[in-house]
Amino acid sequence: MIKVSVNGEVKEIAEGLNIHQLIEALDYRIKGFAVAINTTFVPIDSYDKTVVEDGDLIDILAPVQGG
Amino acid sequence: MKSEKWEIGGKSLSSRLLIGSALYPSPANMEDAIKISGAQIVTVSLRRQAAGGNDGAGGNAFWEIIKSMGIEVLPNTAGSHSAKEAITTAQMAREVFGTNWIKLEVIGDQYNLQPDPFETVKAAEVLIKEGFEVFPYTTDDLVVAKRLADVGCKIIMPWGSMIGSGKGLMNPDNLLAIRKQFPDLQLVVDAGIGKPSHATQAMELGYDGVLLNSAIALAQDPVMMADAFRVAVVAGRLGYEAGVMKEREFASPSTPTVGTPFWHQFT
Repeated sequence: MIKVSVNGEVKEIAEGLNIHQLIEALDYRIKGFAVAINTTFVPIDSYDKTVVEDGDLIDILAPVQGG
Repeated sequence: MKSEKWEIGGKSLSSRLLIGSALYPSPANMEDAIKISGAQIVTVSLRRQAAGGNDGAGGNAFWEIIKSMGIEVLPNTAGSHSAKEAITTAQMAREVFGTNWIKLEVIGDQYNLQPDPFETVKAAEVLIKEGFEVFPYTTDDLVVAKRLADVGCKIIMPWGSMIGSGKGLMNPDNLLAIRKQFPDLQLVVDAGIGKPSHATQAMELGYDGVLLNSAIALAQDPVMMADAFRVAVVAGRLGYEAGVMKEREFASPSTPTVGTPFWHQFT
């Protein structure tokens, strides 16, 4: 297991997960979101080849109201 | 009437009012206010959210409403404190919202939410190279506006006053200086508008549009206020196009003086 921060919350997840697998493991169901790891954007077509590593800071953002 | 269509970010629009989607009493009230305002551009944002969405099943009521309205969305980078954060947020927004428009907002001071001009210019330069249409939120500083234009911004959005303050236009002369210096850029007063007359004033200065949120959403009746702003923006634009009279330092009667009664000359 490795420790990562997801949206500011520390989580223990299996080693070797890519972004797709991480989203499934987290049971993240919001339709329409984008991901950044360590404050760098990860495009959707890179999810399969991007493997999450121990200590990663992961942000998953979805639409909200804004001014 | 001349002020029917205008161009911004490659789109031809009829409304010069840009409106925020936050702070309304309810999503339904937001929808009604946006509709009656006539606004064709609505600002949105990105945030961390609970994994189940706001209905627990992955749904996002707010976003479903906005999508169904058929209007342009302008995602913002609110909450960014550096060029790097703003650039990442913009890239994420482009993927989620499917638009290359971005309201670039890099905050330099947490107390008055004043934009950081240095980081804003830095981010704008990168984002324009990446194909974004950048709507930079900035102060009413002419030199910052110049720097933004230098890096390729076609749109500049100086503040009227602090975000959410409702104080109106603190420095109309500064705003006018930017307008005069950049007759070909699209200029939008963003932030600080509190009442319809503030929007009218901005439009009378020759600004191409106004962007506001709190003034409508925090009104006692947001829907009625949205209608008031619709009218105020049109009035200000027509006033600008009609050509405002020059101020004078003396009184000048408007009623003809020839034939004034009860005046008799004896000498």
